[in-house]
Amino acid sequence: MVRWLWKKKVDDEVDEELAFHLEMRTREHIARGLDPAAAREAALRRFGDFEDVKNTCREIGRRRDSDMRRREYFSELRQDVTFALRQLAAHPGFALVAVLTLALGIGATTAIFSAVHAVVLRPLPVPRPERLAYVFGVWRGSPANVSVGDFLQLTAEQRAFSRLAAAQYSSFNLSALAAGDSPERTVGARVTASFFSVFGVPPARGRVFGPDEDQPGKEQVVVLSDRLWRRRFGGDAAVVGRDVRLNGQPYRVLGVMPARFDFTADSEELWVPIAFTAAQKAMHDDHYLTVIGRLKDGVGKPQAERDLEAIAAGLRRSQPKEDSELRFQLDPYMEQLVGDYRTRLFVLLGAVGLVLLIACGNVANLLLARGAARAREIAIRSALGAGRGRIVRQLLTECAVLALVSGAVGLVLAWWGVRTLVALAPEGVPRIEQTALDATALAFAFGLSIASSFVFGLAPALRAARGSVSSTLKEGGRGSAGTARDWLRPALIAAEVALAVLLLIGAGLLIRSAIALQRTRPGLDPTGVVTARVSLPIASYKEPERVTAAFDRLVREAGQAPGVQSAVLFSQTPMTPRGSSNGLIPEGKPLVLESVVDTRMNLVTPGYFRALRIPLVRGRAFAESDRRGAQKVMLLSESAAAALFPGQDAVGRRIACCEQGPNGGADYKLVVGIAADVRSRGLGEEVRPEYYLPLDQAPPEAWDWIQRSLYIGVRGEGGTAALTPALRWAVAAVDPDLPLYDVKTMERRIGDSVATARFNTLLLALLGAIGLLLAAVGIYGVISYFVTQRTAEIGVRMALGATPATVTRLVMRQAAVPVAAGVAIGLAGSLLATRLLAASLVGVGRTDPLTLTGVVVVLAAAALLASFVPAQRAARVAPVTALQG
Amino acid sequence: MPKDSAQSSSLLHGTLDALVLKTLITGPRHGYAIARWIEEATDELLQIEEGSLYPALYRMERKGWIAAEWGVSELNRRVKLYRLTPQGRQELHAETEQWARFASAISKILLPA
Repeated sequence: MVRWLWKKKVDDEVDEELAFHLEMRTREHIARGLDPAAAREAALRRFGDFEDVKNTCREIGRRRDSDMRRREYFSELRQDVTFALRQLAAHPGFALVAVLTLALGIGATTAIFSAVHAVVLRPLPVPRPERLAYVFGVWRGSPANVSVGDFLQLTAEQRAFSRLAAAQYSSFNLSALAAGDSPERTVGARVTASFFSVFGVPPARGRVFGPDEDQPGKEQVVVLSDRLWRRRFGGDAAVVGRDVRLNGQPYRVLGVMPARFDFTADSEELWVPIAFTAAQKAMHDDHYLTVIGRLKDGVGKPQAERDLEAIAAGLRRSQPKEDSELRFQLDPYMEQLVGDYRTRLFVLLGAVGLVLLIACGNVANLLLARGAARAREIAIRSALGAGRGRIVRQLLTECAVLALVSGAVGLVLAWWGVRTLVALAPEGVPRIEQTALDATALAFAFGLSIASSFVFGLAPALRAARGSVSSTLKEGGRGSAGTARDWLRPALIAAEVALAVLLLIGAGLLIRSAIALQRTRPGLDPTGVVTARVSLPIASYKEPERVTAAFDRLVREAGQAPGVQSAVLFSQTPMTPRGSSNGLIPEGKPLVLESVVDTRMNLVTPGYFRALRIPLVRGRAFAESDRRGAQKVMLLSESAAAALFPGQDAVGRRIACCEQGPNGGADYKLVVGIAADVRSRGLGEEVRPEYYLPLDQAPPEAWDWIQRSLYIGVRGEGGTAALTPALRWAVAAVDPDLPLYDVKTMERRIGDSVATARFNTLLLALLGAIGLLLAAVGIYGVISYFVTQRTAEIGVRMALGATPATVTRLVMRQAAVPVAAGVAIGLAGSLLATRLLAASLVGVGRTDPLTLTGVVVVLAAAALLASFVPAQRAARVAPVTALQG
Repeated sequence: MPKDSAQSSSLLHGTLDALVLKTLITGPRHGYAIARWIEEATDELLQIEEGSLYPALYRMERKGWIAAEWGVSELNRRVKLYRLTPQGRQELHAETEQWARFASAISKILLPA
């Protein structure tokens, strides 16, 4: 529309100009004696192609006009920006408060956004990462790893993936490279040859496995991660082609993967081929493979799932014993990688966004107050011919300048915030260490600044531009831009209070969860307990007898170390979500899959319950006499006993599990005792059924399940400082080539298991406090403004006999209505918003009455205080001064 | 007819701009007056071609060498008057010097002393 108007103007201009020229030339020719028609003809001829000339001029004219408009725009912008900066400098108090408030909001939001970007949004540095997916088995509703037999069937029959690979994650003992070096334990993966091509990332040096290298006999080759290569081999390119010792065996280094293949800080550091034996290939009941595939182009999730279901159906028929309940599940790779951190981080981003909105509310308030003071200036400007649009633009430019200055300060805060966030973040948040204030974060901060300038600036600017010229000038520039219909300020208060209520309810619920967690009993006594892990390499500890002997010696040596009261071994440490489980079948039930109760396994030495002070509920603990060859016994946790023998006494009953009996039937073990439940998977996790076997009676296969790896725990005096050397000494006495790793006190393990929850609670509580403070400042500002505006009226009332108490009430009532409205809106909104928190809440409902009441009381108190101060000032108004003012 | 094949071959490329600027040094004129002035000043030797003149005027206006405003002609008609801007004055100065150098170089060859 606007373009068309301009075009019209240029066209007319050219037409008129050329017409005039033609006419003058024609007259000239007539004067020389030509007749009018011939004269006009001659004049036209001089133009050559008249239409062409006209169009050329029009085209140039249009460009000239658009150049001019651009120049004008930028010159006005420069004027506005200069004016805005001068305004800020002229009101340093206002500038400081507004910039700090906004910088806090923008900086915090940018910092959290950087983390969200690093962890959740940034795609994996591989080609088409969205095509990568895991295939899990599903067993009784929860995802499980895949057996070798099932994986081979999948590979043979699937049509949805262009490539499919399997990996078995496990840890490796990396022997010392030089004298004086210590052996190291590192996480690696045994993978099929197709593994790297699924990701589509070529090695940085050397090569990866060839298609026939995952065959038995050829598997002693290794590909290193960039991280391990730099840390352990100093980034030496000559390591390719050399041998390193893994688990006591020589492995030829084939290549090194690029740094970008280290997706997370705790991802695996080396890869060796997985070679399936003929016996393994026929196994369908041993589930340890992680299956990763790259979906073919054009194959969507539903199609792939149908394909997988067809294969599962085939397996259910052909392997009725092991696979009768088999289902497959497809999970996008990123979803698995990011897990529930997506929700947690977006909740934080939402919370910090609320803080920014409250900050914007406060700045809008400041601007409104200043807008009233500036009404005279604006009235003069519009009297001098500035259009309303032009004034709004100027005011918005001022806001944008303010926001950008704040954004710049905010970036400093964000830089500091990102560093703090990365340093304090709990372990295990994937990719958080890669958080940086990169180009994306800068663009975000810029966009956020501009957006917030509209949020806080638009309403005040529109209001300022609306004030009529004559009335403002007549009022003598007192600038009380319509106090009667001033709904904007109360609305701002209501909005700020609503946002603060949302924040505080979120924070309150998390704090209540944290208290509930604090009160949760772990089920054991962690004081004075230090735990660590020891793994025996299969090369030198192949036979189960050698393994048992080595661990026997270890626990004896550790038990005799100075300061150690008791030393025990166990296959699963409490407070970790990992761990293997077995299917248990109580006696009397048929030996079919339907009777199986999935129960977490723990192999322990006899002193385990005494050392960790896990109470025994019934029966007895293990004794030294529960040895191999004697009656096979087990202990159950209370929840396992309840699940296996509901309503009955489990002690004295028998349970089939774990290994084949003497003549191929089930192997029954006698339940001798019941131990109290332990929060094995973490303090905030639900209790799951568990069973314990005496280490000495562990089935030989069990060493393969747990990869010859046990935890050693010692109780004693002096904490880690005294007990860790004792543990190292004991390990070295058994085998100097064995690394001791994952050394932590039990208290630390408990702390770590709730670290994420604690971190989230801390952040949200902090944001809630900031939100509350900002909202209180906002209320204070608005009520102060109200008092200033009404000083004269208050003076009259007092002159007419109003008491200070009446005046205080009058003023505070101004705050009460919007605060009450805000609380109501906030409470209603929280019903929706707290859904996002549901997964993080422990022992507290989303509408916990105590939290809701608490938040309302806290907010009411803050609002009361914030309005009481200006109300007191109003009550002290001396009638005479008020009337004189 | 292509625009640039000006038969007034004596008008070297770029000189039209200089001539127009020179015309305006005494005060604002409209397009026809500019053409007439050049024709008269050169005793009708240089025929200014409208097909070149007007695009040149618009181009120079866009460049900011001349500025235009609407005024009233001798015949009481609305006309677009061009005037020289400070920038145009500088340009004229530069063009004149360049022309002088060029002319003296040519003269040294064609009219040896």
